[in-house]
Amino acid sequence: MSAEALKKRKAKVLRAEGVTPEVKRGRGEGDAQVTELWGDVLLILPGRRDPPTLLSILYEEMELERRDPEQDYKQYKQTCESLASLMGEIQELKAAGAKEGCTEVEKRRLQSCIHFMNLKKLNRLAHIRLKKGRDQTHDAKQKVDVLHLQLQNLLYEVMHLQKEISKCLEFKSKHEEIDLVSETEFYQEAPEEISRPLLTKEDPHQLTLARLDWELEQRKRLAEKYSESQTTKEKIAKSIEVKKEHLGSLQPGLNAIMQASLPVQQYLSMPFEQTQKQTEVARHLPPALYVLFVQAKAYGQACDKNLSVSISGDVDEAKALSKPPEDSQDDESDSDAEEEQEKTKRRRPTTGCQLDDKRREMLKRHPLSLCLDLKCKDGSVLHLYFYHLINLNILTVKTKVAPATDLSTAVSAGELLNAETLLSCLYSGDLGQETPNPANRYQFDKVGIVTFADHVGELGHPYVWVQDLGGLYFPGEAPQGVRVGSALSASHMEATMKLLRGRVQSRLALHKQFTSLEHSIVPIAAESQHLFPAKVISRLARWTTIAHQDYMDLSFTKHVTGAGLAKEADLFFMAVLERGTARLQAAVVLSPRYPEVSPLFSLCLSWKGEHSGSTDDNLRAMESEVNVFKSELQGPRPGHQLLTNQLARLCVCLDVYLETDGEDNSVEGPREFPREKMCLRTVRGPNRLKPFKYNHPQGFFSHR
Amino acid sequence: MARCVETASPILMHHLLHMSVFSQSFSPCGKFLAAGNNYGEIALFSLSAALGPDANELSQKPILTFTAHEGPVFSLLSTDSHLLSAGNGEISAWSWAELIKKCLCALPPSLRSSLEIPEINAMALNPADNSLAVGGGDNNVHIMDLENGAFKSVLQGHTDYIHCLSVRERASEVLSGGEDGAVRIWDTRTSQCVHCVEVYKYETCARPQHGKWISCLTTDSDWMLCGGGPSLSLWHLRSMSPTSVFPLSGCQRQATFYQDMILTVGEGQCVSHCLMGGEVKAQIPCTPHSINTLAINTNSTEHRVLTVGGSSDHIDVFTNLSYKAFSLRF
Repeated sequence: MSAEALKKRKAKVLRAEGVTPEVKRGRGEGDAQVTELWGDVLLILPGRRDPPTLLSILYEEMELERRDPEQDYKQYKQTCESLASLMGEIQELKAAGAKEGCTEVEKRRLQSCIHFMNLKKLNRLAHIRLKKGRDQTHDAKQKVDVLHLQLQNLLYEVMHLQKEISKCLEFKSKHEEIDLVSETEFYQEAPEEISRPLLTKEDPHQLTLARLDWELEQRKRLAEKYSESQTTKEKIAKSIEVKKEHLGSLQPGLNAIMQASLPVQQYLSMPFEQTQKQTEVARHLPPALYVLFVQAKAYGQACDKNLSVSISGDVDEAKALSKPPEDSQDDESDSDAEEEQEKTKRRRPTTGCQLDDKRREMLKRHPLSLCLDLKCKDGSVLHLYFYHLINLNILTVKTKVAPATDLSTAVSAGELLNAETLLSCLYSGDLGQETPNPANRYQFDKVGIVTFADHVGELGHPYVWVQDLGGLYFPGEAPQGVRVGSALSASHMEATMKLLRGRVQSRLALHKQFTSLEHSIVPIAAESQHLFPAKVISRLARWTTIAHQDYMDLSFTKHVTGAGLAKEADLFFMAVLERGTARLQAAVVLSPRYPEVSPLFSLCLSWKGEHSGSTDDNLRAMESEVNVFKSELQGPRPGHQLLTNQLARLCVCLDVYLETDGEDNSVEGPREFPREKMCLRTVRGPNRLKPFKYNHPQGFFSHR
Repeated sequence: MARCVETASPILMHHLLHMSVFSQSFSPCGKFLAAGNNYGEIALFSLSAALGPDANELSQKPILTFTAHEGPVFSLLSTDSHLLSAGNGEISAWSWAELIKKCLCALPPSLRSSLEIPEINAMALNPADNSLAVGGGDNNVHIMDLENGAFKSVLQGHTDYIHCLSVRERASEVLSGGEDGAVRIWDTRTSQCVHCVEVYKYETCARPQHGKWISCLTTDSDWMLCGGGPSLSLWHLRSMSPTSVFPLSGCQRQATFYQDMILTVGEGQCVSHCLMGGEVKAQIPCTPHSINTLAINTNSTEHRVLTVGGSSDHIDVFTNLSYKAFSLRF
């Protein structure tokens, strides 16, 4: 408390009374004190420097050099202490009640003034010293900066040099990429002037240079050789060209000779040219068709002059087809399938058309097809067109009949020469609807073909015999001495050709017969006249074709359909025989293999009620008379008159049936059908059958 | 089945389609059944195989088929050692031990010279004097001695062919029914006709819309069963009068007494069970549309079956009288 109060007091003192008394007193005291005072002022206001002050400054500076800062500090401490003690004394005096201006106090005030002076001087000195120190530090700093700059420059230079060095070290010479001969080889082969072993053995650099030299030398030599070869090659090419030109000039001449020889060939009936062309084309046939071609041709030459073979289709397309390898096909289809699955997920609407494309691809035919023309004796021709389905590896056939004479159109005969059914069941059970290759089933599943039968109309029928003719063997249920290729084809050729011809002839014969049947005339050939009595009263009233389903729906054919004898492939007819009020319906199943398989009749008689083969033993006997005992009705081989003879016999049997019926009912007056046929006995056996068998020369009827 | 049909030749199929079974006979041992058809074939079926526990389709087919005659086999008969078959005007005997071997061929003398060889419709065995009665197309009944194969006597009197025969052993009488509508009773010792019953003249049994022929005839002690054109009727032989008439629509072809019933077959697809009183008890359906023959195997208790054949290649077998068990097939 007392110290703070003291400081305040002192400051007050300095302000209030310090300056003026000091200035007064300064004028009153010596020069030294004055200069000291001025020095103070000058230091405070540096702008105005008078020479004397400058002098005093210089002086003080010089003084400074002599003085020790330590000592100054001590002096300052002492001064401060003595000033403090003087202040204390003054205060004590004042407190003791000393008056203003008393000597004691004055004395002390003087002393303290001196101390102040001293302090001022010390202060100045301290300032000067500070300034000096600052200057010195500044100078030193300047020096350090210069040095630092130098150092930076040097460091940069070092770095640059290092970079350059590393660049040099990393430099790749071109020669490293050049394949050089091995060192040992080099020393062995290179001449002395290049290898310079003395120099290079020591120095790897020189060695490399030498090796490079050697390489260059060698390359030069090879280049020379290359150009030499090039020129010889050109020379040879030129000579070849010349020779080719020469050969080319020969061609037109040869052609002319060939052309000239054609009439000669024709005249001598040696169709070399044509056969040559055909064999040329045949080279592009698929294997199966080729086998068929060769075998059919061979058979035609050897046994059957009326068989001709020709190839039709686009040869260029076939050539193009034979080029691409087929091995990738499977993988492709696999990946395709996957792709397809993906696609079906993504976009549904397009899959239908994609599948269509795939189906079309699957059922693709080979561009070449084989045409067999089978001439029959009467001049009608059976055209057979054989096709090969590339992806299914089966053969199909399409047929066409060209009859010799213009056939009048019988309605019921429409189906007879239908290309679709003409050749069905050529061999038993061979309908040609399903593909005989078991592998096709899986291929169909992939592209969603339900059955081959849907495509038969477009592609032709894949009958088993067609595969046999083409030498294609598919293991089926009946393995019979597995033969493949030509052997298989050859073994079937003759029989099949005969069957084909027989089929056409029988169909043509039927066609003719149907025309007259439709006019209610049963044509009987002269050879068969003896089978029937002269007078037959029952007449054929109607002959129509009926559908399979209609046949199945008939009530009196149940036993036939039940036994599975009415198949889709068969033809169905309805004959109506009439005599008086009696009307006999005969439903006929005509097998495509007619006449080998005889027609099957089922009877239904409307007379005195409805009777059928199953309810009336006599009608059953009539059925068996035409169906079972047909061998005598066949006429001359191959039995084309069978159907008409059966119908004629049916008429005779109906006569017998009607005339011998109910003979003991004499009470009923005149009979509708008077007995005209001569019968030994009207009934016989436990089931009382009527005599349906006609005995030719004697002309009577008897029992079987 | 469909496969099987397809592979069979169509000619064979037509053959089967028009086959009729006319006669049957069981072997003396009762294990085999011989059946004759309209093509003159005799087929031998093994009943023991067909009735056995491991019977299959194949065991219903004949174990042996052979052609015995030219014409249909209308009658078959078994003696102790032989199978007798009657064809067109000839009788053949086949040893049961070796069936293929034909032992004896006999032709009734009067049948040989006519324009058409008459058929033999019925044979009946008379064990009393080991003789065979044969009746057929020549309107006569011939008695043959089986010892030496000679024809002992001819019973003449019918005006049309003979359908059926029956032997009354105790009275040493032979009954015959024919197309002329008469049932004649013959005394074998004198070869004379004892009685002649013209069934179609009795109003109760006459059916003029069908005709007058008698096609089935069988006897049991004093009772006679006959039918055909006239209705099937039961006669009391001592009084010579019909006691009951059976209301069956078709013409009957064979009838037999069985226990206290009468089994009868004919036109119509069924076996009729009749009671003596004249009621039809049941009509059991079977395969053929009209039935020619019915046989009960009494030779073996083990294989006691009723077999029925007619206008079909099937012979229906009844192990129980009330339903068809299976069919034997040609």
